[in-house]
Amino acid sequence: MQKLFALLAVATLLFAAENGAPEKIAPLGVYKLAERAYWAFQPRNNAAPPVFATAIDKAWVKTPIDAFVLDGLKKAGLLPAPPASKATLIRRVTYDLTGLPPTPEELDAFLKDESPKAWENLVERLLASPRYGEQWGRHWLDVVRFAESDGYEYDMHRPDAYRFRDYVVNSFNDDKPYDQFIKEQLAGDEIDPNNETLMVASGFNRLGPLRKNAGNQNVASSRNEVLTEMTNVVGAGFLGVTVGCSRCHDHKFDPFRQSDYYRLQGFFAQTNENDLIRASAEEQAAWKAVVDPLTTELRRLQFSMRKATEEEKGKIQTQLDAIDEKMPPPMTAIYAVKNDPKKLSPVHTLFKGDYLQPVEAVGARPLGILLPENTPETPLDAEKPRTRLASWVADPANPLTARVMVNRVWQYHFGRGIVSTANDFGRMGAKPTHPELLDFLANKFVESGWRMKPIHRMILMSSAYRQASQSPAEKIGMEKDAEVSLLWKFPRRRLEAEEIRDSMLAVSGRLKGDIGGPSVLIPIDQDLVKMLKRPQYWVATKDKSQYDRRTLYMIYKRNLQLPFMGVFDAPDMQLSCSRREQSTHAPQALELLNGQLSNDLAQSFASRLMKEAKTDAERIDLAWRLAVGRAPTDKEKRLAASYLDEKPSDPLRLKEMALDVFNLNAFLYVN
Amino acid sequence: MHTRYNRNRREFLTDCFCGMGSVAFAAMTAQEQLRAAKFNPLAPKPPHEPAHAKAKSVIFLFMAGGPSHLETFDPKPLLNKLDGQKRPAEFGDVQYQNVNTASRILGTKRTFQKYGKSGIEISDLFPYQAEVADELCMIRSMHGDMVVHSAAQYQMMTGRVIPGFPAMGSWVVYGLGSEAENLPAYVVMPDSHGAQEAGVPMYTNGFLPSVYQPTMFRPGTKPVLNLDLPKGVSLDERRRSIRLLRDLNEAGMPGEDLEFAARMSAYDTAFKMQTEAPKVFDLSNEPKETLDLYGVGNPLTDDYGRRCLMARRMVENGVRFVTVVSGGGGPEAEWDAHNDIEDNHLRMASWTDKPVAALIKDLKRRGLLDSTIVLWGGEFGRSPESEKSKGRDHHNTGFSMWVAGGGFKGGTVYGATDDIGLKATVNPVHFRDLHTTLLYQLGLNQDALSFMHLGRKERLTEIRGEVIKDIIS
Repeated sequence: MQKLFALLAVATLLFAAENGAPEKIAPLGVYKLAERAYWAFQPRNNAAPPVFATAIDKAWVKTPIDAFVLDGLKKAGLLPAPPASKATLIRRVTYDLTGLPPTPEELDAFLKDESPKAWENLVERLLASPRYGEQWGRHWLDVVRFAESDGYEYDMHRPDAYRFRDYVVNSFNDDKPYDQFIKEQLAGDEIDPNNETLMVASGFNRLGPLRKNAGNQNVASSRNEVLTEMTNVVGAGFLGVTVGCSRCHDHKFDPFRQSDYYRLQGFFAQTNENDLIRASAEEQAAWKAVVDPLTTELRRLQFSMRKATEEEKGKIQTQLDAIDEKMPPPMTAIYAVKNDPKKLSPVHTLFKGDYLQPVEAVGARPLGILLPENTPETPLDAEKPRTRLASWVADPANPLTARVMVNRVWQYHFGRGIVSTANDFGRMGAKPTHPELLDFLANKFVESGWRMKPIHRMILMSSAYRQASQSPAEKIGMEKDAEVSLLWKFPRRRLEAEEIRDSMLAVSGRLKGDIGGPSVLIPIDQDLVKMLKRPQYWVATKDKSQYDRRTLYMIYKRNLQLPFMGVFDAPDMQLSCSRREQSTHAPQALELLNGQLSNDLAQSFASRLMKEAKTDAERIDLAWRLAVGRAPTDKEKRLAASYLDEKPSDPLRLKEMALDVFNLNAFLYVN
Repeated sequence: MHTRYNRNRREFLTDCFCGMGSVAFAAMTAQEQLRAAKFNPLAPKPPHEPAHAKAKSVIFLFMAGGPSHLETFDPKPLLNKLDGQKRPAEFGDVQYQNVNTASRILGTKRTFQKYGKSGIEISDLFPYQAEVADELCMIRSMHGDMVVHSAAQYQMMTGRVIPGFPAMGSWVVYGLGSEAENLPAYVVMPDSHGAQEAGVPMYTNGFLPSVYQPTMFRPGTKPVLNLDLPKGVSLDERRRSIRLLRDLNEAGMPGEDLEFAARMSAYDTAFKMQTEAPKVFDLSNEPKETLDLYGVGNPLTDDYGRRCLMARRMVENGVRFVTVVSGGGGPEAEWDAHNDIEDNHLRMASWTDKPVAALIKDLKRRGLLDSTIVLWGGEFGRSPESEKSKGRDHHNTGFSMWVAGGGFKGGTVYGATDDIGLKATVNPVHFRDLHTTLLYQLGLNQDALSFMHLGRKERLTEIRGEVIKDIIS
């Protein structure tokens, strides 16, 4: 190994000599006091929760969170809303923690439970449910732009990417300490290359889109893109800063120098793909039997290409393309990374981010603004670089990491973060609405061993969380705080794309609850498949019973987003998504009214109602309790009953009513 | 937020959003417009700079794969003289995919002639486009940064060389809203031969809300998914179940609720689209003369002709942005003439030339050309050197695109490449300059048209582009 480094060093010197002068080294960034004083780079404070005098206030403050929230409300001249009903609460928290509606049985049990611990028990039951990991793991997958194909031209599938998805789901279900979660993803392979789980986790570094240009790829440019992907997600995902902006120039608003960006990239200089084949010996043999002759032929053609005349080249290319088409998908594997010093990429600051214009060489160093002045960089070839990066990211003293994560947790509970720009804590991001609360939560998070569930509990047990989503002082609230950032009521939210589909499946009695495993490809409209450069990759899963699984287990393919997902604001998986948009438009209505999925499931829903209830009145009641989480109001009963009465013997009516239920605000929104 | 509380709920529901078109929009106060825009993001919005808002819509005739400038709009007699020789050193170097130092200059078999009053030179590949030469504003100095399809297509469509950023069409609808109540605001009509390298992500809304996503038309007479009622459901039956839905949703509404009102309005729009949009898609009521003009019925031009005609009907009905793709599925059905430039371009031209020219003529005679920008071109041009002896490689350092209508100066030529068409040497126009100028003609300002994403004010042009004043009137 040492010989190798020596060789590399010689090679570097020779390279430098050839270019006339030794390479310029980028100077370390220098930071002004004012830059260092920015709140997000300061250590967390330790403010005590405000204390209240009146009995009413004291009664409302159920957790320290409430004290901070109430303080904010009072300063703005606002009051909290009254508590939400129990029926509202069970639906809210069940969706929040599992992404699914409560069943009528769960609803009844909770409504009947009059013990003072009823709510706490409900929260504990849901936190212990494996559905919790599916729901909260999915949020993380948005942040890390998880997808199961490469993107770009060929959008090759990554059939084993599901292992990373399962790793994330399991990590949430196990309440894995977040500092450990960070280290495993950034550096699982360095921690223990013999531990499969850790190797899967290290696949984090390969989640970004990957440009492969058949035959003529530009290696240097592609490598640069790969390093960029690895680096940017550290900034956006873990640190909540837009360090990616300083790839082309010093950051315009935040104290990240261009050299900081490339020094961060330096930690990945040795990182390379590492596919750990997991196919059985027979599978490997069968695969080789197909691939080896193709590879031999490929090599032969590539060789003859070198000497070919212009005319011959065209024919050879056609043959090469034909082989490409015949190549079977790669063997089942774990997509991991490894450090390969032989393939170490020298890292430079790049003029305007252009890989063809290196300016000054850099080593590896975390963001300078968070280090003492003149902290030296480490050589690119130092051992276990990503472990060092991960230890810095996950250091309890890192002012960003814990704040960023508790803010995400808060956002997914309340629809909006304490810092509403969850991936940007910089100066262009939003200011925290409750800075002391943010730090309080971050401190608790670290004190609880970086575990998520204690934070969930504290939030869910609060009065702030248990408010109604309507306030008697709606008008004043909207005038003073239209975004509801101070939480004068609980912010209503629309279900996310996956939740809508999962709920329709659950309500119609078709949801198949299997957890984990390879992703499912459902048969879809051929016109959609034709929009792919390689339509042959879309091969529907043979086992049809798989089609009714949770949406999390449907393939997330970069170049073919299922229309249902796109129309309901699912992210496109190309860039990190910190918060989903919630738009309202006609194609959503068309999808839910005329789409095949909703009509098919409405039919199943109607059949279920026919089977499980005897009269129309009972069916209406059951439909509402299944889908909306409460009994229908008298008016709703009357409207639905008279609709069914008009054509009592026509089964279409019940199906259309079932479809209407899928289109109800009360179904699609959580109060 | 200003909310009027003195109306009853039904009044609120009927006048707040339902069926709001541009007339209702004009009657609203600025504050009401903003509020409407928040909950109906497709509500028409005033342009940032109305003074130079010449155009209202855009049709992009996307020639996928990269049509050769050397065979179409940029005559280079020197090429034929240098045929078979190495590229003279004085022209410099560019980065290629396949062309290398051993490659030889390839002359062209095409002949060029001056057309129209303006005398723009166009090759014999495009006899029909030659007829509308005086409408075309020819840019012969286009250049982009990438020499491979996917990245170049992303840059042309979204301003960025990687996927994940919003396309021009999404940006324009985000900026101006929609004037098409019963049609999607942004339409892409893909080529039925198959996909392009950058795939659907190059057309999509990126991080903009999904309301700005394109509607990808499907081949055939039913281009929009989900406009048809499900099997076995009659229109009357559906009307009744939608009434039930409306009644149920109203029954559950606690009071004035802008978001829920917007939802109900979206259902109204959806229902109208269902009944009205198919009428726009139905070409059967077009006169024979028009069908012939576009080449509908002729097997060569039928497909692209239909789609160009559809594009006119879209724009006529207020659709903001239409992309009509020519080429897909592989080099031979795209403008990607690696193997044989003659064979490939003659075929691609035979499919598109007549329909393209017909679109210009038809828009013009209907008085729509002034308010419609028509843009023609691909993600790059093709190399002066040959690839595989008869083909040409990708080429991003100098190529041609044209713009017509929408306040662009017809009958002009802007910029130039060197004598072999290798590099844009006179007035080079980058994609970002083209984007900036298109926005300018729509009354949109490249800086104002921004969206906060991950802490950055993102815009179509990323690095600022220049408005090319010389090509607009």
